[in-house]
Amino acid sequence: MRETSRRSVLWMGGAAVAAPFVPRFAIAQTDNRPRITIAVQKIVNSNTLDVLREQSNVGERVFFTSLWEALISRDWLGNLMPQPGLATGWKRLDDQTVELQLRRGVKFHNGDEMTAEDVVFTFSRERMFGDTQPKNRATLRTSENIPTSRVTKELPAEIPAVARRAWPDLVRVEAVDRYTVRFHNGSPDVTLEGRLARYGSDIMSRRGWEEAASYLDWARKPITTGPYKVVEFRPDNSLTLEAHDEYWGGTPPLKSIRFVEVPEVASRVAGLLSGQYQFACDIPPDQISEVEKNAAFEVQGGTILNHRLTCFDKNNAQLANPLVRRAFTHAIDRQAIVDSLWAGRTKVPAGLQWDYYGDMFHADWKVPEFNPTLARDLLKQAGYKGDAITYRVLNNYYTNQNATAQILVEMWRSVGINVQMSTVENWSQIMARGPQRAVRDWSNSAPFNDPVSSLVNQHGPNGQQQQIGEWSNAEMNQLCEVLETSTDRALRRRSFRRMLEICEHEDPAYTVLHQNATFTAKAKSIRWKTAPAFAMDFRPGNYA
Amino acid sequence: MARFVTLRLLRAALTIALVVTFAFIVLRMSGDPAQIILGPEADPEAIRAFRKSWGLDAPLWQQYFQYFGAIAQGELGRSMRDGRAAIELVAERIPATLALTLPALFLKLAIGIPAGIFAALNRGRFADRAIMLLSVAGFTVPSFVLGLVLVLVFAVQLGWLPSGGQDSWRHAILPILTLGIGGAAVLARFTRSAMLEVLGQPYIRTASAKGVPWRLVVTGHALPNAAIPTVTIVGFMVGSLIAGAVVVESVFSWPGVGRLLVVAVSNRDLAVVQCILLLVAATMVASNLIVDFLYGFLDPRLRHAGGKAGV
Repeated sequence: MRETSRRSVLWMGGAAVAAPFVPRFAIAQTDNRPRITIAVQKIVNSNTLDVLREQSNVGERVFFTSLWEALISRDWLGNLMPQPGLATGWKRLDDQTVELQLRRGVKFHNGDEMTAEDVVFTFSRERMFGDTQPKNRATLRTSENIPTSRVTKELPAEIPAVARRAWPDLVRVEAVDRYTVRFHNGSPDVTLEGRLARYGSDIMSRRGWEEAASYLDWARKPITTGPYKVVEFRPDNSLTLEAHDEYWGGTPPLKSIRFVEVPEVASRVAGLLSGQYQFACDIPPDQISEVEKNAAFEVQGGTILNHRLTCFDKNNAQLANPLVRRAFTHAIDRQAIVDSLWAGRTKVPAGLQWDYYGDMFHADWKVPEFNPTLARDLLKQAGYKGDAITYRVLNNYYTNQNATAQILVEMWRSVGINVQMSTVENWSQIMARGPQRAVRDWSNSAPFNDPVSSLVNQHGPNGQQQQIGEWSNAEMNQLCEVLETSTDRALRRRSFRRMLEICEHEDPAYTVLHQNATFTAKAKSIRWKTAPAFAMDFRPGNYA
Repeated sequence: MARFVTLRLLRAALTIALVVTFAFIVLRMSGDPAQIILGPEADPEAIRAFRKSWGLDAPLWQQYFQYFGAIAQGELGRSMRDGRAAIELVAERIPATLALTLPALFLKLAIGIPAGIFAALNRGRFADRAIMLLSVAGFTVPSFVLGLVLVLVFAVQLGWLPSGGQDSWRHAILPILTLGIGGAAVLARFTRSAMLEVLGQPYIRTASAKGVPWRLVVTGHALPNAAIPTVTIVGFMVGSLIAGAVVVESVFSWPGVGRLLVVAVSNRDLAVVQCILLLVAATMVASNLIVDFLYGFLDPRLRHAGGKAGV
């Protein structure tokens, strides 16, 4: 038997003490990816990480592209046009059916491979639609043929309504084979591909859902396919994501991302300058120059898929005459607002539409021109006597909202419109019916690349403006039907232009002020490109 | 004594009932939680579904009686944001808030009371004027300004402490200082005033004239008599332990009850707001009760006067 010397005992003892640290050291040697902290004003509003429960700009930032992914993705760092995501390709079988080929080898955060069954489950009654029915069928057949013994999780009441708005006539999602799915719509719809790319159509793991004890447990840690997975979510405080090293798109460049909620702008900026945070989001335009005074930091960002509007209530006694509303639209010097309050870092868009509408975009369309003389003339024609018109605003819900409102009031006053600004506390006070409701602020997004996603969904017969009784127009409503159901692209394009004419010029429902923008401050030493959206892209290739 | 206690307990119960009723009326009349929680672009159908599922479509009086009935059975309701029990949400945040407010309270007491006494005993001298100058500055500078100044100095310029968050004990230093400095300033002023009033009383002159050493005059006669106004302020500070750091928690991104209250009010998340208000009211009422009993202990005249005394 070999003798044990004092030296060997000491060596073994030392080795035993050091052993637990060796693997960590080895890991640290091989995984030196950075961990970053991002200060945001709000992580999510709903206290969940469910794309159907949290339909907000702030949600978009933490969800895309880190956590949730759709079958059809977007060119997040480019023009936001659709591109292959979890599906590698798709084709139309007819006006009502789209077939998609799933990407092979996509792993969920729990290690499972994504298959057609997960896609079918994502669009199921249990997860999405509840008891709602598609517009043109008696029942939804999605996933009904898949037997399950799982315990039912009760969805929050608004989720089926949100899902049905996103997919009004989806009747069935069919798993053709392990890597092929078909989406069957109840009526012809040219926007199916757009809807597949929209916020809320993102794919989740069926097993992840089934294994969660409750909806809330699942919604706080959803099992998805994104390059980062949830480690810890502390509502109203922080969200920690960790690299999902089996990500189909390559190894994520960051070891972890931590979003922390810092409500005060000054605190976010201070934390950035002190090195506590690597990114500070939601920087108001007037703070950009302050941050950039420090040569080590810069502010990135720009326009997003959201336009600021001012809406009109045509039931108001003063606004019933469209000439008065038209006068409002011609009295606004939009470019002056962009230059003075946004330092020129956003733009006046071509009405309520976005470039990524593709062939539906009317590049030559313009918002009403700034023409005070015309505005005064319209008021004269309308016989406006200078009666007070109430303008309800929130206290800076939107960036620069107060300052914009004050400028608007003065612009309107200068042409002879007597507008009384009324600052209220919340949206239900803004929308409260009554003789005082007349003018209000709003913003509209375009969840997918077609006017149906914005003009129809927000100002059409089922949109908010008509549902709360502010505005309606019979011709507009007929054209909405055309836009939703016609497959004749030329007709759709003509109809959309006519809708813009009605809503923005002839019988104004709203007037577009400017495109919204968001700004993120960071150290210049970090090579990272911002997306033209709230989404922050930390996928392979966009961080160094 | 029994009448004294009973009257105060009844008054406490009435106060809590009024607070709950007031909160219900104000929150319910000033906004629809469905529209606020789901956001300005929310689908009207989603808003209708949300309102129905939370009973917001019922008449207001019906909602009120349902809510009051539930409270009577110990059920404080659920958060409309994520469906969790309101009491659970609030209870989760209490330790974080107490981690700031308790050390801050000790800081206020440790600085404010000795400073006030010292200033009073040195009335008109440099020390008195310096303490009062600092005291005025301390309570006139708003806590969010003081907090940001501390962040600029200690986090941005010196880099000694983190600017916000709740990751370690170091993150608590600046918020505790912000809370402590303002409170100490208030306490110093009150203590000084109380001491000056007592020091001008005939019994102090008599004790001095009889040859009682000044140290004993101060500790044996002046301090106990000056304690009543100071105890009132300290009682108020104790009552504010739960929700007394709303602004500071926002400035330092500290996830306590104060921030939960701000978020819940802005979302009209009634169950959470009312749970916090109940807790605050209960803490304040309990604190007032303790102060009332302390009055009796500190001043025998009040004790013997039974229920007629109180502030």
